[in-house]
Amino acid sequence: METQSAVAATTLSYAYPDGTEALSDITFDVARGETVGLVGPNGAGKTTVFLCLAGVLQASAESLQVAGLDPRNSNDRKQLPARVGIIFQNSDDQLFSTTIKDDVAFGPLNLGLSSDEVRNRVAEALGQVGLTGFDERVPMHLSGGEKRRAAIAGVLAMKPEILLLDEPSMFLDPRGRRELIGLLNTLAITKIIASHDLDMILDTCQRVLVLDHGKIVAQGLAQTLLGDAALMSAHGLEVPYRLR
Amino acid sequence: MPSDANHKPDLLSMTLAFDQPAGLPSFVARIDPRWKLAAIVLAAGGLAWLQSLGPAVAGMIASLLLVAVARLPWSWYLGRLVAALAVYLLFFLWLPFVVEQAHSTWDLGFVVLSETGTIRLAYLSAKAVAMISLILVLVGTTALPNLLKAARSMYVSRLLVFLMLLAYRYVFLLIEEFNRLRIALRVRGFRNGADLHSYRTIGQVAGTLLVRSAERSERVGQAMRCRGFDGEFRSLDDFETAWPDVVMFLTTVGFAALLVTWDLMIR
Repeated sequence: METQSAVAATTLSYAYPDGTEALSDITFDVARGETVGLVGPNGAGKTTVFLCLAGVLQASAESLQVAGLDPRNSNDRKQLPARVGIIFQNSDDQLFSTTIKDDVAFGPLNLGLSSDEVRNRVAEALGQVGLTGFDERVPMHLSGGEKRRAAIAGVLAMKPEILLLDEPSMFLDPRGRRELIGLLNTLAITKIIASHDLDMILDTCQRVLVLDHGKIVAQGLAQTLLGDAALMSAHGLEVPYRLR
Repeated sequence: MPSDANHKPDLLSMTLAFDQPAGLPSFVARIDPRWKLAAIVLAAGGLAWLQSLGPAVAGMIASLLLVAVARLPWSWYLGRLVAALAVYLLFFLWLPFVVEQAHSTWDLGFVVLSETGTIRLAYLSAKAVAMISLILVLVGTTALPNLLKAARSMYVSRLLVFLMLLAYRYVFLLIEEFNRLRIALRVRGFRNGADLHSYRTIGQVAGTLLVRSAERSERVGQAMRCRGFDGEFRSLDDFETAWPDVVMFLTTVGFAALLVTWDLMIR
């Protein structure tokens, strides 16, 4: 069923096999084309939210829709990789092929696309992230910023409707971070960005969700929530330098 | 020059023992990886079967010719050959010094050598050089993804193929992790010694590395599933058999069969 929401979760919960409750009845909504920040202290459950939305972890919820699919349903789960892309915290976890070309092609090939279509998508995705000509480079030889862009290219080549970015500015130097912000702002798709880098969240997101101890404790406009010193302090965060 | 602090080209370059060398284009590099893999595996199997000096030396000469035809850079080839032979010699170098009653011997004055042992060392060494050379021709003229795809198309276990790919890709990260742990130990005053504290610390470092590897493999698995991985290995390059592939296969395997026949006749 087509809805206006790219992501709609009602009472989403997840407990790890040892019984630790990682997410507890969280409810949120992300509109199509919107860019939303997911902020919170370490261990708040940000990565777990992403893994649940991508169907990697089996969450329970009253209702859960991601790009029109239900990650709890096994048939829908098989279609999720084509619609939802995740950029992991550490790019080395994501770049497993021996050349950049093969890594970017990995996802599209898994979608069953023709070789010509895959080659076009690889070239297009590498161009989008500014890595044209890096096709035959070995991932382990790239700098942190280049690895991040290669990881993003690998996901963009699948043409997802939703992009989930987990701490995308981690391990990047200031220039790499600035380039990343520029790149994210050029991608006209739905994005959820989990980060401690609240200045980057301000630069990229209209709205934020504040997550702490597996619960959403606040959601609203980025400028308003991130400028709320009491809220930030209560949840292990700090008001971004620009809003002080 | 990359600006990131975590870029360590020296460390990483050490881990690329099986990277394709920047060699000249060659006939062997253009052979369909499936035919090349089949030919070299069968030829290496034939060489392993040999038990006589003559056929083993002939096999070694033929494999060196193949190295030349493949136009592998000699520095790349010799570096790897010597490293592999050094490990091999650790196990077989003692053969000439083992003198049994039935053996004829060579008395050099300061040492008595077993003729049988020396001949065994010679043919085993010739076989080792030949087999290592064949493997280096294979990995030196075929990109790893193509080699793995060829292995899959020849029904090599999917699990084994992926194990090889991921081991190749992540071994350098393990080395990085190990180096970080080593530095962390040194800055806290640890110096390795032959005592219980050192052994316990080394055990803990090994355990930490294992745990980190397990965590990383979990994350890599998640990342692969998120990009639609269903357990099948796919590659952009499609294989196509041409007549030179068949000629190369028949020549290599035929020559190995001749060597085996010769060996069986003189045994």
